[in-house]
Amino acid sequence: MENKIKEIINIVLEKNNKETVKDLNKETSLRDDLGMDSLDLAELTVRIEDEYDVDIFEDGIIDKVGEIIEKISKR
Amino acid sequence: MKLFFHYKNTDITYEELIKDINKTYEIKKYVYEKDPYEILKQLIISLINGNQITLLDSDFSLEEIKNLEISEFELEKKYKNKEKIKNIEDLYKKIEKNKDQWELTLYTSGTTGRPKKVIHKLDTVARSVKKSEEFMKNVWGYAYNPTHFAGLQVFFQALFNQNPMIYIFDENRKEIEETLKKYNVTHISATPTFYRTVIPYFKNPVEKIERITTGGEKYDETFENQLKKYFPNAKIRNVYASTEAGSLFSAKGEIFKISDRIKDKIRINENNELLIHKSLLGQSETFKLENDWYKTGDIVEKIDENHFKFISRKSEMINIGGYKVNPHEIEAEIKKIENVVDALVSARKNKITGNILTAKISLKENIDEKEMEQKIINNLREKLQEWKIPRIIRFVDQIKLTRTGKKVRK
Repeated sequence: MENKIKEIINIVLEKNNKETVKDLNKETSLRDDLGMDSLDLAELTVRIEDEYDVDIFEDGIIDKVGEIIEKISKR
Repeated sequence: MKLFFHYKNTDITYEELIKDINKTYEIKKYVYEKDPYEILKQLIISLINGNQITLLDSDFSLEEIKNLEISEFELEKKYKNKEKIKNIEDLYKKIEKNKDQWELTLYTSGTTGRPKKVIHKLDTVARSVKKSEEFMKNVWGYAYNPTHFAGLQVFFQALFNQNPMIYIFDENRKEIEETLKKYNVTHISATPTFYRTVIPYFKNPVEKIERITTGGEKYDETFENQLKKYFPNAKIRNVYASTEAGSLFSAKGEIFKISDRIKDKIRINENNELLIHKSLLGQSETFKLENDWYKTGDIVEKIDENHFKFISRKSEMINIGGYKVNPHEIEAEIKKIENVVDALVSARKNKITGNILTAKISLKENIDEKEMEQKIINNLREKLQEWKIPRIIRFVDQIKLTRTGKKVRK
């Protein structure tokens, strides 16, 4: 699952001319470390929703990669 | 013998139509048919008898018809055909004689929400029909569903001038060029989406076409250039019409003219929405009027006292993080890119920006999708603001169309 999430994150980063990541760290911040802006985050949540049927921002905006994994695991 | 209708492999002359009408003993009040000839024949019979008739789209499911609140008893109601027709002139006379009793009920395409019922008299539904010697040789390429307003416009124009109608609406795309040439079609009326899906199959220009009428979508320059390429001798006319009001304006290019005849019945409000006075409308219980004015839901730009441009349907504007985006604008940009056939831009909800844009794009055959995706994004990035760029692109074979041949936007 973590590989898939990394893949999705990299799709969003690459399409939007940002640097992709080699390894996922649970503490990585989507905004501060990966440089995602609102549109990137919006795209990310939609892509994850398509893959896992989970709205990761359902209970509020999350920021760390670890929180994404947590939200998806809950389902 | 003048041809009346061509459909699939059948050609029916006006003489044969009249014989068939005279042989038809009764018709239903609610016409729910697939065969376009049958639909038009029954429509003519209702006209010569002065009966009420309702045209139901053949792709309504029985479930949807129930939701229109038409009882099974009503659906089975029949009328006897009391009139015998001698010839075409006799047909016209009987239609004229009974036009005050005749009533046509249609259901709007309902691109958003439930279809609404509208009742028309001959005067509104045939408002823009012109009868003249100069139209005698016209041959109509018929590319609308005959249960819808635009289809009825072509029908009345052709009928009153005794012109042939060549039905190409659901014909195999690959055969349309040949059919147009075989029957010497001079006039075609269809939505831009129809032309767009058909033109990629054309091998050569169709020179006999004199007039292309289109409507139902916002003007698109790339599209118009394509039309000029394959119909080099055609005048291109854009019509603004709705199920509620019928045909109202016409445009060469994207600027619509408000004729003097209806000028005082048209208004543009402070939100740039087009308003039509109730006197121009058919009858309906569901029209929401604001002091006698009907809000069309069309956002327009006023050019001057007599001219305007269509911008978008009010409901189609998409809100991306506070920015209002017109999906048509973006579709137009995407379609300018080489190898793109058509595009549909839609909204996808999310909790951060409200919406993001997604796009369904159809490409020419044998084009690499991955390569195109990046090409499209890079291209749009140069032309559009960031929030106007579709974030999720899906390639499809065909863009799904509504019953009136418009793109399904919901």
